[in-house]
Amino acid sequence: MTYRVRLNVFEGPFDLLVYLIERAEMSIYDIKISEITSQYMEYLEEMRSEDVALSAEFMVLAAELLQIKSRMLLPRTDAESTDAAVKEDPRTELVEKLREYKKYKAVSEMLEAAGEEARCCLEKPQEDLAEYTGDPDEYLSLDIEEFRKAFSAFLRRKKKLEEIRAHHRRSEKQRLTTEVRMGDIRDYFRGSRQEEADFRDLVKERESRYDISVTFSSVLEMMKSQELDAEQERIFGDITVKAQKGLYEKTENQVGD
Amino acid sequence: MKKQKIKSAIESMMFVWGQPLSVKDMADIFNEDKKEIYGLCRELQEEYEQEGRGIVIREVNRSFQFVTRKENLDYIERLCTPVRKKKLSQSALETLAIVAYRQPVTKGEIESIRGIRCDRVIEGLAKKGLVTDVGRADTVGRPVLYGTTDEFLKQFGFTSLKELPDIGSFAEADGEDRERELLEGQLSMADI
Repeated sequence: MTYRVRLNVFEGPFDLLVYLIERAEMSIYDIKISEITSQYMEYLEEMRSEDVALSAEFMVLAAELLQIKSRMLLPRTDAESTDAAVKEDPRTELVEKLREYKKYKAVSEMLEAAGEEARCCLEKPQEDLAEYTGDPDEYLSLDIEEFRKAFSAFLRRKKKLEEIRAHHRRSEKQRLTTEVRMGDIRDYFRGSRQEEADFRDLVKERESRYDISVTFSSVLEMMKSQELDAEQERIFGDITVKAQKGLYEKTENQVGD
Repeated sequence: MKKQKIKSAIESMMFVWGQPLSVKDMADIFNEDKKEIYGLCRELQEEYEQEGRGIVIREVNRSFQFVTRKENLDYIERLCTPVRKKKLSQSALETLAIVAYRQPVTKGEIESIRGIRCDRVIEGLAKKGLVTDVGRADTVGRPVLYGTTDEFLKQFGFTSLKELPDIGSFAEADGEDRERELLEGQLSMADI
């Protein structure tokens, strides 16, 4: 007998076990461990054959089941009173866990129904209360003389700033991005009508380590999008970069844009 | 202030506020006893209910807000298509159930009941504002304790946590079976 049940239906090992027990119409207090264990294992096996990634917890429960099964095979000593023997039922702990789980599963069903009903009531989202609470413009409690002073101070500062800017230019090195370099590489192949190039020819400033690495990652990026192909015959050797169909298509697209 | 006047003011405030308006805030505004205000809110709620108005007053953890009457949803949907909140997944509901009844509860306790890791699920519920951390347990590692929020009450239509049905009502009905089995005693070895 094979069961075609998808794993994702089950929320965890207990969910699966409860399902199997209920399907077999067993009492949760008298689980036929042997039967259930083999069904459980069968199920896991099937999942594995269908390449469903099983979480470790499913395996943990499988091990627990096997342990219980083996403990049930062991004869229990009669030296103890029968009362103790009942308590020693190896299934007790599992049964408790399953009962607890089933209880909350039932609660979750109740919540689902309650949520469904509550969703029928619609509320208004809080409105923008700014209209009622908006603070009035700040009062300017200055006399005209103070206002004049403040304004001329502002003008002076502005003038000074302009002077500084005129004399000192902030030098900022433009940092090249991969996007820009990818554009450069496309232009290179498009312009030269060559389909192959040495990697070094694609680097503009050969002294700059930054430039080299940007170019390198651009090439990798373009290989990913199948615009380029690259070959390196031996380690540390020259890299030959070849243009692929994707590169020309991309160029056309961009022109089209 | 006269009762009727306060009730009228409460009604106006709830209209503007939209979201649940807490009894405490209202009491501060009227400078009245919280119990008094709560009573008035309930009266107002009752009036809306009695008249069968299209707007009803919902209580969420001692806060009140206007919502539409659920029977009218169909008509609202014909008028426009309100965005329905996505249903929670089965695992999210299970986790939420455990948090609701066992709070404050640690992730470890939740996981031992569900038999599976719950990090992602808890994270998701926290993101939706349904659960939140409410402190830390005084045990080894001081794990975070989780509890439900007012948003949970609102989304599931409970006025307070006390309104949740008794957990005992969800227990397995076949407790009697168990006693019987115990009486018959001795588990059978036949199934091995």
